[in-house]
Amino acid sequence: MTAEVAPQPHSSAHDESEGYLTHERGLKSWLFTLDHKRIGLMYLGSVLAAFLLGGIMALLVRTELLFPGETLMEADTYNQVFTLHGAIMVFLFIIPSVPAALGNFFLPIMLGTKDVAFPKLNLGSFYIYVLGTIFTLIAIIVGHVDTGWTFYTPYSARADSSVIWMTMGVFILGFSSILTGVNFIATVHKMRAPGLHWKRLPLFIWGIYATSIIQVLATPVLAITLFLLTMEKTLTVGIFDPALGGDPVLFQHFFWFYSHPAVYIMILPGMAVVNEVIATFSQRKIFGYMFVAMSSISLALLGFLVWGHHMFTAGMSEYATMVFSALTFLVAIPSGVKVFNWVATLYQGSISFASPMLYSLGFLALFTIGGLTGLFLGILSVDIHLHDTYFVVAHFHYVMVGGTVFGFISGLHYWWPKMTGKMYNETLAKIAFWFVFIGFNVTFFSQFIMGSQGMPRRYYDYLDQFQPLHMASSGGAYILGVGFLIMLFMFIKSLMSGEKAPPNPWASAGYEWLTTTPVHPHNFAEPPVMTRGPYDYHLCTEEELWDGFPEDFEKQAEKA
Amino acid sequence: MNETLPEGTLQLPPQWSTIAPEVDAMYYFIYWVSVVFTIAIFGAMVWFMWKYRRRPGVKSKQPGHATALEITWTFAPLILLVILFHEGFTGYVKGAVAPEDSLEVRVRGMQWNWEFEHRGGVIDDLNYLRVPVNTPVRLVMSSSDVLHSFFIPTMRVKRDVVPGMYSTLWFEATHRTPDITCESDEQCPEAMWCGKVPPGGTERKCSLPIFCTEYCGAPTGITASAFSEGGRNTNHSTMMGDLAVVTMEEYDAFIEEGPPPPPECESADDPAACWGENLHSNYCVACHSVDGVAQAPAPNWKGLYGNQRQFADGSSATADENYIRQSILQPQSQIVQGYSNVNMPPFRFSDRQLDAIIAYMRSLNE
Repeated sequence: MTAEVAPQPHSSAHDESEGYLTHERGLKSWLFTLDHKRIGLMYLGSVLAAFLLGGIMALLVRTELLFPGETLMEADTYNQVFTLHGAIMVFLFIIPSVPAALGNFFLPIMLGTKDVAFPKLNLGSFYIYVLGTIFTLIAIIVGHVDTGWTFYTPYSARADSSVIWMTMGVFILGFSSILTGVNFIATVHKMRAPGLHWKRLPLFIWGIYATSIIQVLATPVLAITLFLLTMEKTLTVGIFDPALGGDPVLFQHFFWFYSHPAVYIMILPGMAVVNEVIATFSQRKIFGYMFVAMSSISLALLGFLVWGHHMFTAGMSEYATMVFSALTFLVAIPSGVKVFNWVATLYQGSISFASPMLYSLGFLALFTIGGLTGLFLGILSVDIHLHDTYFVVAHFHYVMVGGTVFGFISGLHYWWPKMTGKMYNETLAKIAFWFVFIGFNVTFFSQFIMGSQGMPRRYYDYLDQFQPLHMASSGGAYILGVGFLIMLFMFIKSLMSGEKAPPNPWASAGYEWLTTTPVHPHNFAEPPVMTRGPYDYHLCTEEELWDGFPEDFEKQAEKA
Repeated sequence: MNETLPEGTLQLPPQWSTIAPEVDAMYYFIYWVSVVFTIAIFGAMVWFMWKYRRRPGVKSKQPGHATALEITWTFAPLILLVILFHEGFTGYVKGAVAPEDSLEVRVRGMQWNWEFEHRGGVIDDLNYLRVPVNTPVRLVMSSSDVLHSFFIPTMRVKRDVVPGMYSTLWFEATHRTPDITCESDEQCPEAMWCGKVPPGGTERKCSLPIFCTEYCGAPTGITASAFSEGGRNTNHSTMMGDLAVVTMEEYDAFIEEGPPPPPECESADDPAACWGENLHSNYCVACHSVDGVAQAPAPNWKGLYGNQRQFADGSSATADENYIRQSILQPQSQIVQGYSNVNMPPFRFSDRQLDAIIAYMRSLNE
């Protein structure tokens, strides 16, 4: 051990202007950058724009549903709006949110390396994402896409030709996802800093690594499916459309063979962020580290075996249904392991309730509800009643928004000082949190009751008996919207006039906090050597856990 | 009918079928399991959050090894999950396998309507399903266009309706739907809605709603909601039907006589022709006009009766009662010259309905 160089906290900040944001200037230095941090920020800007667009769609949907009958738009317009809400949120926002934006930025830093394994491929992935987004936007602007984000045949096979633009967009976005996955897997295997063996790997990396495996294995199936759909539409080759001799249920199998694993592409990164945040704000190693890491891997693998549970009413054989139901329950095991371990991490910690931690604790609460309501849907006899009702809508929003989006937002708050070099207004952040948390629960908890009472999803119009609950749900959506607007204001204010951030404002033992703020263009002035794990608070020096500026620490040390 | 109707709970609609109590028992079992887990997890969270909140001078402790604990909470839930799976699956099988003596009803889904055909080829009014009480009923369903899904919340049954294949479901209703006339949903008992005017009736009645739960689209440019207007449905969210549970005697009488004529025709000069006109405007008007001006897509009815028909294969026949009957029941058997590209679907009308259509056609010649 003596030969190893200990991590040099906040060392070598020779020149503050040398941060990655300012060492090169001009538009070209961004558009052609190979720096994973800049690419991460470009992704972050794109996914936040997509989130805003998808959010506006969501508010349009909820406003239309305030009252039965026509409130704001025609049935046909409504169908397009909810389709776009789903497609934009899934393909343009949630899937790339944590891995492509936060993952790109922090994966190499947390591995103690200079960049990802293939920096040019990384930039290429971003432009493929942009190209896919352009196709999708064309479909939105010129077209008439009203198939739902699932593109179920034969409806989609007969719908307007702009569905082709949309599916091409999603097809292209898939390649971005695959290439990012390949890049991350290679980076994790090959680029870890000396001393960073697998048992020290930050759980964020474990989560992103598991996600990458799914991206690489599952996304091609989506590409093939959408390609076949396009072939059917343009060349009338009968694959899914029974009018041409195809099988519509086959499409569902193909689609969910990707899209169920995609659920784990979405949730695993959210969980990955929560690990880091809970550890930091409890000042404690994640309880059962290896079990949590392995639960990510087992979720990734199990995720491939349960796609049939989206099709319990679709007309599969009873035997297939039985097997899918049994496998679905197995997913509860690794999910439960994670929740139990996170709660156990709080035990004997030193818990701070800063805004990132509030979102992660929110994640824990909402994911618990989202996960347990998943059991209702796994039970075959109960699923028959609940399938395709608002119960399902509420369930997956608890997992996707309460889980992934809360995880993403938590990570955004947590790493904001490291990414931008600025602090934000903590009071505003906490106000925004309460709006988001309460608004979310009002919006979606009412949908559980609506759904179990029999309100089907994707309905433009509904029976009077559901009106009070719909109104509550829409009211919650407005509260949620206000919360996000406060957050947006808070972040913009931070960029304009935020205080300068110290290198490690949360006193974290995580590797990414060892480097300077703003981050050195090569991440670390000198390649680090890891002599402890990323959660080993008991092995950290006081200097490493100093949450102020390094010069103040020196002054304080001199005083003492 | 003063029979007490089943009541729902905050979470679930009233139980109208024999399998509903079992499904609900399962629902509440997992509900209470979830409540216990939620309280345990939230309780531990809140307790730890309070007890271990950050205080000056108090440091966090690092966890040691707790492999036994990890293994316990990894594998102990398996027992519960096996129970959940087993109970759910046995319930599902019960719902999937219809009793042997089930009465069959054929269901055809189409954008955005349901058609119900009873034994003997009796087709009821569009979007109107009547079934006998205390009798297992098996629905054999197909779709003529896109995916639909047939859902009756009060019966706890749902099944996708898929083009190119048959799917089935069954249920046994435990109560007769009460005869309540209505103008709005509020006047109806729990979980019922103010449905359409039943065949042969004059006023709207409360019925159990049937939903479509697989997204099936909307036409471009339809503005009005067709909820309270009766008649044809206009999009996925209005693809609803009325379920009326009747007694076996009422059901048998319906099968015997077929759907009754519309009541406004009873006082008409020619009740049969009036009924025929009504059927034409419901089923045929989209393709067949009656104004004597010949145009596509299908032959004009004015002057058709008694006319000489030239067929695409060169043969010919006089348009008499038998010709018309066959053309409705088996449209592809005789294709009139010039209409080879038209694919008229077969319509399974009852004998009385066929008579009415023929009477209407004859009246057009007068």
